[in-house]
Amino acid sequence: MKQSVKRTRTLAAILTAAMLWALCACGGDAGQNPAEGAPSSVSEQENGAGQTSSVTVTDMMGREVTLEEPATRVVALTASDCEILYAIGAGDTLVGRGTYCDYPAQVSEVPVVDSGSETNLEQILALEPQVLLMSTMSQTEEQAKQLEEAGVHVVISDAQDIEGVYTAIEMIGTLMGKQEEAAGVIQSMKDTFSQIQEKSSGDGSQTIYFEVSPLEWGLWAAGNNTFMNEIAEMMGLKNCFGDLDGWASVSEEQVLERNPDYILTITTYSGEGPLPEEEIMARPGWENVTAVKNGAILNLQNNELSRPAPRLAEGAKMLYDFVYGEE
Amino acid sequence: MKSPKQRFGVLEYLIFTALIAVIFCLCVCVGSVNIPLGKTLSVFQNALSSLVRQYLFHQPALSPAETVSSILLTVRFPRVLCVALTGASLSLAGAAMQGLLKNPLADGSTLGVSSGAALGAVTAIAFGIAFPSLPFAGTMVMAVLFAFLSLLIILGLALKLDRTLSSHTVILIGVIYSMFVSSLMSIVITFAADRVQQITFWTMGSLQGKGYKDALILFAALLLFGGMILLHARELNAFAVGEENARHVGVNVRRVKLVLLIAVSGLIGVCVSIGGTIGFVGLITPHLLRMLTGPDHRRLLPACLFGGAGFLMLSDLAARILLRPRELNIGIITSLAGAVMFVLIFYRTRRGRSC
Repeated sequence: MKQSVKRTRTLAAILTAAMLWALCACGGDAGQNPAEGAPSSVSEQENGAGQTSSVTVTDMMGREVTLEEPATRVVALTASDCEILYAIGAGDTLVGRGTYCDYPAQVSEVPVVDSGSETNLEQILALEPQVLLMSTMSQTEEQAKQLEEAGVHVVISDAQDIEGVYTAIEMIGTLMGKQEEAAGVIQSMKDTFSQIQEKSSGDGSQTIYFEVSPLEWGLWAAGNNTFMNEIAEMMGLKNCFGDLDGWASVSEEQVLERNPDYILTITTYSGEGPLPEEEIMARPGWENVTAVKNGAILNLQNNELSRPAPRLAEGAKMLYDFVYGEE
Repeated sequence: MKSPKQRFGVLEYLIFTALIAVIFCLCVCVGSVNIPLGKTLSVFQNALSSLVRQYLFHQPALSPAETVSSILLTVRFPRVLCVALTGASLSLAGAAMQGLLKNPLADGSTLGVSSGAALGAVTAIAFGIAFPSLPFAGTMVMAVLFAFLSLLIILGLALKLDRTLSSHTVILIGVIYSMFVSSLMSIVITFAADRVQQITFWTMGSLQGKGYKDALILFAALLLFGGMILLHARELNAFAVGEENARHVGVNVRRVKLVLLIAVSGLIGVCVSIGGTIGFVGLITPHLLRMLTGPDHRRLLPACLFGGAGFLMLSDLAARILLRPRELNIGIITSLAGAVMFVLIFYRTRRGRSC
C-alpha cells in the first residue's frame, strides 16, 4: 500500500503543479475569486493640521491598511502592480519585484524575490519594505499575518475586470501619495476605451478567438470574465468562446466549428521556427477558418491583454487598429 | 475446464479486430463537435473516392472545402489513429516488462521509464537539440535514449539491492527514480523558463493536434519494436517461470534481455516524444487481458495490441467529450482509472500471496 500512496502523492503533486502553472499563466484574470467587486473605497485621512501625512486604503480584499506617510519602499509580487507603479511615476520606490515582472524594461534592475507558490518571506523582509503589494493568488493568510507582525503592510490588489484595474490604480496611487498621477492614468485609459467603443462599428456578428496557448502545448482559449472578453465586447466583437468561464482548454475541433473571423494569439515567439501567426496559418485543417483564409491573425506577445494593468488600453487600441484599420 | 489454448487463434483475431474497429468508428464519429452520422459517412466516402481518383487516375486531390471534413479528416481521424497506436505500443511494452521482470506492477510509468523519456525530450526542447533535416527527431532520439538509460539505471540499482528483482524493490526504485527525474526536470526548466508551458505539456500527456505524420512514425515504431517483442513471446514465457529455467531451455538470456529492453525503450521513447507521458496504460491493459487470455505471452501479447488501443481510444474519447467544449489531458483520465486499478491489482496480488 505504501507504494500506491506514494504513487498517488506523486500524481497529486504533478496535478497540483499543473494547476498552479495554469493559474499563474492566467496572470490574475481567472475570475475565480469571490472578492470580485470588493469595496473600492479609498480614503485618505487628514490629521488635525490639514496636512496629508497618514494614508489609509481599503485593499481589494476589504482589509483596511493605514500608513503614517505615503510609502517609499515597496515590494510588488505581481507584474501588473509593478506596471501600475511605473505608470503613476512611483517606479523608483520599488525595492523588490516578483519573478514574472518584466515591464517596463527598467524593472529588471530591481532585485527579484520569489513569488507565487514559492513566496519567500525572508527574502521580502530582507529588503525592508514598508508595503508588500500582492495578489490573492500568491499569498496565504498566515504569510500575510507574519509580514504584518514584522511591520510590513500587506496590500492586496486583485482586479478581475477593467473597473477593478481602475480601483487598483487608485488604491496604489493613494498608497504612494500619487493620487493625481493615478487619476491621470485612469482617465487616459477611460478615454482610449470610450474612443474605441464609439468608433467601433461591430454589432456582435463577427467573432474573435483568443488563443492563450498554442496547439503544440494544448489549446487554451480566453472565455467570459477575462479582459480579452471585455475588450472584444467593447469593440462589438463576439468572443467565440464566451460560453466558457475564464481561461479554458478547448478542443481543436471546436475552434474549427466556431470558425472565428479574427484570431488573437498571445503566444510569445521563441525565436526559432515560424512566427505564432504563421504557425496558426500552417495548421492542417485550419485552412477553412475565416480568420486563416483572410490572414486575420494578430499576435500580441507582451501580455498587453492578459494583465490587469494600464497597458490594457494599449492592447485594446492595437486590437482595434487590427480589426478596423488604423486611421 | 478446458486447457487454455496456446496461440492467438484466427477467431480471436477476428473478434478483437471487429471490437477495435467498432471502438475506432465510435471514436471517429463522436467528438467535441457533434457531426451527424450521415454527414460523417459521406465525408469519408468523398475522401476515399478522392484518394482513388488521385492514385489510380492521377487526378489532382481535392482539398476539403468544408469545416466538417477538416474536422473529421485532418483533426479527428489522425488523432484517433495516433491514440490507437500509442495505446497498443504502451500496452505491449508494459506486458513485455511485466513478463521480463516477473513483476506484475512493472510498467513504463511505475518504473520511471516514461519520466526518463520525458526528461530526454524536455532536455532536447530546452537546449534546442535537433538534427537538421529531421524536425522532431531531436526530441525522439533523446527520449528513446533516456528511456533506455533509465531502464538500465533502475534495473541496475534494483539488482544491486535485491538479486530476485522483487516487485517491492523495483517499484520503490522506480518511484524514487521518478522523483529524482522530476527534480532534474525542474532544474532544466530553470534554465529554460521561457519554455515552461511546452515542458509542462510533456508531463501531462495529450495527443491533441497530432497528424498523419505522427501516426506514421508511431506505426513504424510499433512495427519495428513491437515486432521484436512479439517474436520473443516464447522466451518471455520461459522468463516468466524464471531466468534459470529460461537458460535451461536454451534461451540466450543476455541477448534476449537486451533485445527486449531496447524494444521497450524504443516503444516508450517514441510514444513519449509524440504524446508526452501517458501513465498506466501499460499497467492496466495487460492485467485485464491476462484474466481473459491467461499468462501465455503468445496469446497475451497480441491481445495487448488490441486491448491497449481500445482502452486508450476510449480514454481519449472521454478526454474529448466529458467537458465539451473543453478538453482534458488524456493522461488525467488514464491516471484516474489507472491509480484505482493499481491499488486493486496490488491488493489482489498481496492477498493471493498470503493464502
